[in-house]
Amino acid sequence: MSDWAQLKQALISGDGEELCRRVRQTLDQGVSAKDILNQALIPAMDVVGERMENEDMFIPEVLMAAKAMSAAVEILKPLLAADDLSAAGKVVIGTVKGDLHDIGKNLVAMMMESAGFEVKDLGVDVAPETFVAAARDNGAQLVCLSALLTTTMPMMKETVAALESSGLRDKVKVMVGGAPVTRAFAASINADGYAPDAGSAAKLAKSLVQ
Amino acid sequence: MKSKGRRGGIYRPLTQDQVETIHDAALTILERVGFTYESGLDDLLEMLEGSGARVDREKARIAFPRSLVEAQTAKAPNRVILYGRSEDSHLDLQDDLVHLGTGGAAIKIVDPENGTARPSTLKDVYDLARLVDKLDNIHFYLRPCIPTDIPEAAYDVNVFYACFKGTRKHVMAGVNNEKSFHDVLELAALLADGMDALKARPFFSIITSFAISPLKFCTQSTRIMREANRHGIPVALSCAPMAGSTSPITMAGTLAQIHAEQLAGITVCQLTQPGAPVLYGGIPGMANLKTMGYLGGAVECGMMNAAIHQMAAHVGVPNYNSAGLSDAKIPDAQAGWEKALTIVLAAMGGSNYVHHAAGMLESMLAVAYEQFVIDDEIIGMSCKVLEGIPVDADRLALEVIESVGPGGNFMTSPHTMAHLHDEYFEGNGITDRKSRPKWEKDGAADAWARARRLVERLLSGEETPYISESLDRQIRERFEILL
Repeated sequence: MSDWAQLKQALISGDGEELCRRVRQTLDQGVSAKDILNQALIPAMDVVGERMENEDMFIPEVLMAAKAMSAAVEILKPLLAADDLSAAGKVVIGTVKGDLHDIGKNLVAMMMESAGFEVKDLGVDVAPETFVAAARDNGAQLVCLSALLTTTMPMMKETVAALESSGLRDKVKVMVGGAPVTRAFAASINADGYAPDAGSAAKLAKSLVQ
Repeated sequence: MKSKGRRGGIYRPLTQDQVETIHDAALTILERVGFTYESGLDDLLEMLEGSGARVDREKARIAFPRSLVEAQTAKAPNRVILYGRSEDSHLDLQDDLVHLGTGGAAIKIVDPENGTARPSTLKDVYDLARLVDKLDNIHFYLRPCIPTDIPEAAYDVNVFYACFKGTRKHVMAGVNNEKSFHDVLELAALLADGMDALKARPFFSIITSFAISPLKFCTQSTRIMREANRHGIPVALSCAPMAGSTSPITMAGTLAQIHAEQLAGITVCQLTQPGAPVLYGGIPGMANLKTMGYLGGAVECGMMNAAIHQMAAHVGVPNYNSAGLSDAKIPDAQAGWEKALTIVLAAMGGSNYVHHAAGMLESMLAVAYEQFVIDDEIIGMSCKVLEGIPVDADRLALEVIESVGPGGNFMTSPHTMAHLHDEYFEGNGITDRKSRPKWEKDGAADAWARARRLVERLLSGEETPYISESLDRQIRERFEILL
């Protein structure tokens, strides 16, 4: 239906008020919440993610789009089945122990949420055993580790090792990211994936859990 | 012709009214918003409280009354001399006198062998010092890259050693802690023939990034800064917010916040040691809001760095700032225009100590040997602009015009010979002015390739022994030198 384009446009341009107005209007026309989420909102956030990945969009605009997305999801939530909001999968995310930086990690969490994942954000300075417990308790398919400092990168390796010794490693995919992290480093610590930015992180997450 | 120390102040992006408006806004910020801090600064809090600042320990906030800031800022010297280890390399920082040189903490260097970026090493810090020593328009050597090949604990002493060994010019760098500061002080005292001689004419200075923008004291750097104050070593009060992420997106807002941060830093230094030599270290920059990285090559960086000198001059403190950054990855045309514009604007503004002005690429992440040679040329030309056009009887050449007469030519006139080498900028040889056939015969090299040849030539010469063998032995007995 033609309204998808306008809904998507409102989301991509970060116009929360307009988006919510159109979401309510579309619901009133009898369209299901699930369709609005899957046909308009998530595909629109995919576009945002892609533009972010290509450095075609300003981050403050990405933040506005994500904010609009969560406002729209708040409207849809009571009308959705429990598993509609975690359709893409369940993610546990955090900044590794010893590292207090969270701007990048928050961006990734937000983009993943917008891409249809249920995200459990453990915050910063997260110990390996905390990651393990959260992955187990939440039934996560994906564990995402963030580090900004070269000095805390080794903690990523230890966290992967903790997942291995707990027997969870085969049940989850591990993604790593942060300014000093590289694809080669990810491979060297036996992580499943690396993404250089939040847009490509969400995309990679989808491909890893499919 | 020396390019160092020429007078700028011929480009003033802010009117006097605007300068006063921004100054007033900064005082309001310090009074109403104030600074925050983390643990480890109890002695600072006590000192500030005892001087009339209001400290709210629950909220971790320090409010600076106007009268305190104004009284302390007035104590800062309006002239700071940064010495070199030769008579021709001292820097007289005051008024609108301009000096430009290297700077940064790049972690990569473009390898001249293959043109790709690799991690920078201690040998690079030394070889770049040797290169800069031979480039006349680079007036000081601030370590431009990090020695990624040695343990972090060994950085400070080894970086200063590599700099001192490679060049006679004034050396500046940061240190990681107070102990390192004392190690470097001791190393320099060995070279100066004693601590008293060193303190009388310090040939090194320290960058102290005391402020984490916006408006927060960095514990470690503030402690180092105050330790340097107590020992009479000049400090550059570096703070470098990025418009859009760590300061307001607007230029005026960024200037106001930086000015507030600087006034707080100067106040702390002068309370610690009245009359301590400090450089106002506001470095206006921009955030790349598509990647959250740093943007250095934008033309507005040149405009804002000229403006921040006006703010420093308004409080009578010599300033340290930036120009010549580029977001290009290699020494290409974009690097050329970004550097030329920002350097000439900062120089015309009258900035006293412009770092980052040579060698930098990739938004501060990389340096390239060739770029230092190219930037030496850009700095030389920018300083030439400051000289203006002298008009006197000799230069006006009325008599010469009369004697050559209508229809003649000036080729062999003694007046032409007299000014052949002093009227126009003569560079280091990197600028191509050959005919096309001659250029083609020489390999049709672009600026990058020509710069590579020049680097090879300059570095292949014999190494100048800036540290004697006996002194070197003494240093190596005392410190673990990894070069």
